[in-house]
Amino acid sequence: MSSPTFKPCAETRRHRFAAACRPGAWAATAFVSLFATFASAQEVDPRFLLQPTTDSWPTYHGDYTGRRHSPLKQITPDNVRQMTLAWAFNTGQSQPIKGTPIVVNGTLYLTAPDKIWAIDARTGRQLWQHTHPTNTAFHIGHRGAAVRGDLVYLTTPDCQLVALDARTGKPRWTVEIADAKRGYWCTNAPLIVRNHLLVGVSGDFDNLPGILRAFDPETGKPQWTFYSTPPAGTANSISGGATGGQMWMTGTYDPELNLVYVGTGNPTPVLNGPVRPGDNKWTNSILAINPDNGELRWGFQNTPHDTHDWDAAEVPVLVDAPFAGKPRKLLLQAARNGYYFVLDRVTGKSLLTTPFARANWAKGVDDEGRPIPIVDKEPARDGRLVSPDESGGTNYRSPSFDPATGTLIVSAHDAYGIYFFKPEHGDTGWAGADYGIHGKGILRALDYQTGAVRWSHDLHGGVGAAGVLTTASGVIFTGDSTGNAMALRTTDGKTLWHSGIGRVGNSPMTYELDGRQFVLFGGGSVLYAFGLLPAEGKN
Amino acid sequence: MPRPSLVPLLATALAGICLSPTLRAAETAAPSQASPASVPRPTTVVAQEFPAAQVDAGRVLFGAQCGFCHGRDAFGGETGPDLTRSTLVASDVRGDKLAPHLRAGRIEKGMPAFTLPDDDIAALVAYIHEQKKRADSAVGGRRAVDPSDLQTGNAAAGQRYFANACARCHSPTGDLAGVATRHVGLPLLRRMLYPTPGGRDDPSRVPQTVRVTLGNGQVVTGKLAHRDEFTIALLDERGWTRSWSTDRVKFTVDDPLEAHVEQLAKYTDSDMHDVLAYLQTLR
Ligand code: HEC
Ligand code: HEC
Repeated sequence: MSSPTFKPCAETRRHRFAAACRPGAWAATAFVSLFATFASAQEVDPRFLLQPTTDSWPTYHGDYTGRRHSPLKQITPDNVRQMTLAWAFNTGQSQPIKGTPIVVNGTLYLTAPDKIWAIDARTGRQLWQHTHPTNTAFHIGHRGAAVRGDLVYLTTPDCQLVALDARTGKPRWTVEIADAKRGYWCTNAPLIVRNHLLVGVSGDFDNLPGILRAFDPETGKPQWTFYSTPPAGTANSISGGATGGQMWMTGTYDPELNLVYVGTGNPTPVLNGPVRPGDNKWTNSILAINPDNGELRWGFQNTPHDTHDWDAAEVPVLVDAPFAGKPRKLLLQAARNGYYFVLDRVTGKSLLTTPFARANWAKGVDDEGRPIPIVDKEPARDGRLVSPDESGGTNYRSPSFDPATGTLIVSAHDAYGIYFFKPEHGDTGWAGADYGIHGKGILRALDYQTGAVRWSHDLHGGVGAAGVLTTASGVIFTGDSTGNAMALRTTDGKTLWHSGIGRVGNSPMTYELDGRQFVLFGGGSVLYAFGLLPAEGKN
Repeated sequence: MPRPSLVPLLATALAGICLSPTLRAAETAAPSQASPASVPRPTTVVAQEFPAAQVDAGRVLFGAQCGFCHGRDAFGGETGPDLTRSTLVASDVRGDKLAPHLRAGRIEKGMPAFTLPDDDIAALVAYIHEQKKRADSAVGGRRAVDPSDLQTGNAAAGQRYFANACARCHSPTGDLAGVATRHVGLPLLRRMLYPTPGGRDDPSRVPQTVRVTLGNGQVVTGKLAHRDEFTIALLDERGWTRSWSTDRVKFTVDDPLEAHVEQLAKYTDSDMHDVLAYLQTLR
């Protein structure tokens, strides 16, 4: 297979900041040769993930940067009003769609707990489906699939990694990621980095160490296991007795630095702080990990000693852009604790820490850029009124970085909850009680350099469930809190289009096939594909 | 239980809407609030036995389908209430109440509807009853908040705070007389913070009123039924739902609970405990 030469670059899609990334070059040359390569071979070369073409969305975030920004421009602020339904696919599940589908070779792969479907991305017609055997693990939701070569990968609630033939859905092999009987479960969309498949797990009802594992994508052979909270007594055990720190969201990757960025979850026991004194590293942290050996390069903890279930699992968004006048390799994260963080992703050093949602739990920011928790806001016997609530200032729903406006667009949540803990609650799993009191969902556009809110858009209800997609034409695709898919203008957040398809519970994505741009939203348990009407004479 | 009316100011604000008798009845008949973890568990009305195999099957199903929200042991989890404290469970006989509840769900409150075979429903019912039995016989509640935990405030300070922040809408001898008898411990605290534990869309909450001015100048008022960026809907005085595109009418919405939302940002933890201590004197 003839392979074009690649300049590794984390900014896989062209924008005005990406001077170091040969702006425009790939569109002219790499696009053509890649397209030729893949049109003939069909198999997905992992190098494709470095610079995905616009007829694909080959990984959970669409590319390695996690920006969820597409170069597609067919649908614009001027014509989006004419956007109409192209097709819909009903999963028939009782759960809403929470994942982002992936698209390669004109085929779309959609997942739900124990389920994967292959669908014709032009028409919504099912090609095949696979159902994993019934199991007892948590069926909370599923983020998505991954694809490499001729295999498509599904993680299952009972923590199996199933590799299926991407053409037929026939299972090729299955390996265990973690022991579900101990209380782990899995919702993760794996991250493919060359010859590594990285997968994280979930589980905070039991005191379990946080693990991220790499497997050989061809054979399923385990390559390494990284512990965010190494078990007590082991060499790197620095968690102060905490377990947890699960890496349940798909990370991002910088090929130049060869570093994977992943956010870790909350410590366990969750609400019982006294039993695990100290910062509880590396829970609630952003970690930079070498995908070749699972070694930690650096870590930044965005909530030291968390007692409110505010994991830092939210997407670490990679952007190459000036910061304070200097070109930088940045990492942006709007975190569940209500704070917006900007890090230098080479060193892990903090550049900015500032709230983007209501937060009353910190008394300032320390020298390292970490908010300083107020001890009196830890859960207590008589209850503490804390902002945000357990579901956080944001959550797994993806933000999007729009390079033209330099804004990170985040589905924020201004909320209060009440938190209780007393020793009688024990030291296993939740170990406490908390109740959401009131919350309000708001979409906010943050200036990436200052965190200042450029505009806000009321989502008209409680916490939103939809992630955000931006496109180079200046359109945002997302959903409100009540039951509408929406298109907004990126410059000011003004609504341009909506459709009452039901509550959007996933992060929208887009691709272009046969000259037609499709935008996909999950509305309840149905996947909806919208686009402009094809030009006359076609179809 | 008759709902004591608020002090005149608020009563006038609400006077515009006329709730039909059927609506009132539905509101008062609404099931008890989720997870009243501080009150004693309701007693199971009819003792029931289930085969061990069925309970085991139910445990498996419960873990997979319900555990994330209700805790794997059904004792309450991230979003779902403790089912061993549910009056619905206590009054259920072999699924007569639980089965319809599971099939219908309570979607607006975060409880999904389940389409499961009868055998699976029966197994879930068996498991939930078994866990209730276990909880009833256990000593020392887990994840429970007892009224005795909430006695750290100073009632005199709370009374002063109340006079400043609350008295314009509430009266200790009017609508809040006996509030500490009606609600005890955690449910009282939650109602004091935001009086609808089911969240902002809880149908048992005090209604928001809406006043819509149509293009022809006609004014329609009623109880808010739905509001988003694109649609405004109300229940008119005869119980009909009417909805309009928000760009075709003018409207104002009055949410009597807005003051409670604003109050959340003002309370310190000790204010909150002081006011609770004061409310607890209103028996
Ligand atoms: C997504 C979270 C979620 C899941 C999954 C879920 N529930 Fe619920 N459930 C809730 C919430 C929230 C409520 C409270 C609803 C309300 O306030 O009326 C509830 C209420 C209930 C109640 C009524 C309690 C009462 O006293 O009114 C029962 C019984 C119940 N659930 C059983 C189940 C069973 C059995 C399953 C699994 C088959 C299940 N639930 C799955 C969230 C969930
Ligand atoms: C602007 C008016 C307003 C203000 C100010 C206000 N409330 Fe309320 N409050 C309400 C309304 C409306 C309700 C809902 C009554 C209902 O559900 O019937 C309510 C309900 C309550 C309830 C529940 C009563 C019950 O019988 O269940 C409590 C307790 C309460 N408020 C306490 C307070 C306290 C304490 C303050 C001051 C810190 C306060 N409120 C300030 C309007 C107000």
